[in-house]
Amino acid sequence: MNFSDLKPQIYNYLGFRGVGESETTDRLIFESLGELEKIAQFNYIYRLLDSPPDFLKKEPYASYLSGARGVIVSAMTLGLGVDRRIKSLSRSDMTKAAVLDACASAYLEARSDEFEKTLGDDLGYRFCPGYGGSSVEDLNYIFELLRPEKIGISLGESNFMTPAKSMAGIIAVGKKAEKSCENCFMAKNCRFLEEGGRCYTWEKK
Amino acid sequence: MLYLGEKITVFDGGFGSELERRGIFCQTPEDLNIENAEAVKSIHRAYSCADVATANTFGLNPIKYRGKYSLREVALRAVENARVSKKPVLFDVGPTGAMLEPVGKLGFEEAYEAFKTVAEISRDIADGYILETFSDIYELKAAILAFKENSTLPVFATATFDASGRTLTGSTPEIVANTVSGLGADALGVNCSLGPKELLPIVKRLLDATSLPVIVQPNRGLPEIENGRTVYRLGAEEFEYYIGKMVEMGVSAVGGCCGTTPEFIERIAKFSGQSVKKREHIAAAAVNSANRLCVIDGVKICGERLNPTGKKALKEALINGDLDYLADEAIKQQEAGADILDINAGLPQIDEKALMPKIIKRVQEYCDLPLQIDSSNAEAIEAAARVCNGIPLINSVNGDDEVMARIFPIAKKYGAVVLGLAMDKNGVPETAEKRVEIAKRIIKRAAEFGIPKHRIIIDTLVVTASAEQRLVKETLSALEAVSRLGVKTALGVSNVSFGLLNRPLLNRTFLTMALERGLNMPIMNPLDGEMTGAVKAFALLSGLDENAEDYIETYKDFSPSAAQTLKKEKGERTADTLFDCVKAGLKNRAGQFAEEELKIREPLEVVNEVLIKALDEVGRLYEQGKLFLPQLISSAEAAKAAFKVVSEKLGSRAEPKGKVVLATVRGDVHDIGKNIVKVVIESYGWKTIDLGKDVSTEEVVKAVAENDPDAVGLSALMTTTVPSMEATIKALREAGCRAKIFVGGAVLNPETAARIGADYYTKDALEMAKKLDEVRGKN
Repeated sequence: MNFSDLKPQIYNYLGFRGVGESETTDRLIFESLGELEKIAQFNYIYRLLDSPPDFLKKEPYASYLSGARGVIVSAMTLGLGVDRRIKSLSRSDMTKAAVLDACASAYLEARSDEFEKTLGDDLGYRFCPGYGGSSVEDLNYIFELLRPEKIGISLGESNFMTPAKSMAGIIAVGKKAEKSCENCFMAKNCRFLEEGGRCYTWEKK
Repeated sequence: MLYLGEKITVFDGGFGSELERRGIFCQTPEDLNIENAEAVKSIHRAYSCADVATANTFGLNPIKYRGKYSLREVALRAVENARVSKKPVLFDVGPTGAMLEPVGKLGFEEAYEAFKTVAEISRDIADGYILETFSDIYELKAAILAFKENSTLPVFATATFDASGRTLTGSTPEIVANTVSGLGADALGVNCSLGPKELLPIVKRLLDATSLPVIVQPNRGLPEIENGRTVYRLGAEEFEYYIGKMVEMGVSAVGGCCGTTPEFIERIAKFSGQSVKKREHIAAAAVNSANRLCVIDGVKICGERLNPTGKKALKEALINGDLDYLADEAIKQQEAGADILDINAGLPQIDEKALMPKIIKRVQEYCDLPLQIDSSNAEAIEAAARVCNGIPLINSVNGDDEVMARIFPIAKKYGAVVLGLAMDKNGVPETAEKRVEIAKRIIKRAAEFGIPKHRIIIDTLVVTASAEQRLVKETLSALEAVSRLGVKTALGVSNVSFGLLNRPLLNRTFLTMALERGLNMPIMNPLDGEMTGAVKAFALLSGLDENAEDYIETYKDFSPSAAQTLKKEKGERTADTLFDCVKAGLKNRAGQFAEEELKIREPLEVVNEVLIKALDEVGRLYEQGKLFLPQLISSAEAAKAAFKVVSEKLGSRAEPKGKVVLATVRGDVHDIGKNIVKVVIESYGWKTIDLGKDVSTEEVVKAVAENDPDAVGLSALMTTTVPSMEATIKALREAGCRAKIFVGGAVLNPETAARIGADYYTKDALEMAKKLDEVRGKN
């Protein structure tokens, strides 16, 4: 994995607004990514379905999946070690904790993208419950279907996942699609949009 | 009695996958024991080529089981069904399915109780236990203790590993082996996880790390997805081939897990009764936490800073129950290069037995290092060893028979490595010979309790050179002689300089002398860079640190000038003054700059003219988008470090501006934002009371009543936890809270904040710090 490719997105998560790149922060980012290579325990679980299960027949999933040949339901995590490290750093070095946290988010996305390339070359993006006006409660259906407990992810009562650096969602098969801010519940109050950016890409639109 | 280790024993194959293959689907497979006993029996019959039968009871524990019947009823029928195989029946025990604290909510003691219940309903009907598919060694420890303490049947324990060779909670095969062997299980191994081919390296590592019989029950290869269903494709012949390899490597029992069918077990049944290959394993003084194994060999640093002797701040923290202070000290020592941490709570005003487990739990929540339980109170040692996640070192016994009779049974039960002091009730003998005699006595007595020599460490006791100069060499002679007995050695190094000038010099020199004579575990202050440096240098020069890897990693950024000047450190911006230092966020140097500044200014002036102005400048640049989050936090941390130095001079004038209670609300576990707020508002002079994450309404109300803060800061990151925030605010209002309530977090905005009854919404940490000052100005 090329760390330099991840840097712009990590800067994006850390609220960088175009000026004042910091050598110290860069060093922390590269250190953190190096540490993640050692401590992260990346695991990915998925099922490929020819037709969407019932919970995906409603909006916004229906639109996302319309015209798709099938759907991959998946969950992925960096494991508990990353959570532990961030937690411990939060007591001893908050700057590093915040940087590692942002790096871990970018790293999980990157490792997942990498893995998904092995699943096919005609896949859409990962659409996770909570996104585009969907409800995070739909995570419960994904958990019933996949049992991500097998790779160490559990779902808490208010639908948070443990380890914290975990994701679960769906991917359209046979249909390319672009992410957008349409229907996002955060759109009204989004710090990324306010700055002319997006949460899912560092490239300004 | 079912016994593994001499002849190969063949276990049966997959049960759940076999049910599915036969078209039997069921939410609670355990209920089939009653509702479709014939189907269960027919699978057991099909597996009767195996030497043992595993009852269909994997999920049968009070936490996981959600079926219709009583646990006892299901257990009885399950064992009865398995009896059709006419083979000894193992009661199958899976994990509870709930996560243990601190990650989850299930207490260690609750997990123990759940497994105890399982033991009680099964011990009179089954022939042994197979604990399977465990990921968390803490849960596995609770289970092994429960079955060992509540039954006399053999206990076999197997864990599950992923492709990275670790369990899902991050334990390596060596850590699993050390823990399970230490706790007295009768065999250990691996099940499920991967296919037999992928398991080979893990099996090899388990065999090398334990003297116990090893069990392997792989899946039928790696699963593939076909039409949305999981399928296993590995052929029985290939399965048999790899099982054969494992038999050659020295495993004692083989079987199958997910996807394997009676055909597979029939194939491997041919290994049954073959002699188990004799093998050597490395006998070591190994201690471990969930994520770290420390073999006490070569040189390993034991951090001594969690021992209150001579440490005023730690004493106060222990008396006040301030466990966060201990967690911070633990993290510092880990980062400074300690390998093990000594934990001592021996103060007359403290109930050690009650406090020790709490300390152990808090320290292991934040720190990965294995722990040394340091106490003379046997009850406290046992309470601590029980909740320790992994295998601890127990400090200490001595040559007094009564002490050994009290402590060795605890060490044996919990698998601990034991530190023995070369003294007895007559005190520390003067001569090396007499100390070696006591060491021999300790080794002999330990063996009688079943503790082998390789799990003993002897401390030949450091005397102070100021009082007994001529005895310093006796300690070293004894050390050398004891090493030759085949045990490892330890010394509390810094005692040597007590009462003398320039203690660091003496400590360092004595440490080097002792290392040369064979010291394995100096008990010392790892934050003393000269001492840890001496250990690193010794490891390099004596060839322990192969290719100088560790040394180079430690000193890669070293340059002679950096050691002498405050101005430049690699990759950091330069700073000439405290103002620049805070602006540049150089936390590690802010204290030194503050001291420089205090030479030319009054303390209050340093605060008002330097620190506050620097933070204002940083805040302005942050708002303008010229600095971003990491820089804001590091400036806040630098200001805090400087303020700590200045406040010692300020005395009572260093009072905080006020108090703020912080919490991430119930149901929400995202706390990075709240932690940033904490650092930033502290740098602005506020004292925080941080309640952590997933904090209940009651806890917030209680903390506010106890602390009477000026403000409460609540954080929520998910739409689903905003209602919990609203409930917390409502409860605070009902309790008559006079503090202003601030809310923040990704899903909030001013409208939502107003709707749920908060006083203020602030978009980030800096805005909160400013708003707090503003509100304070008004009052």
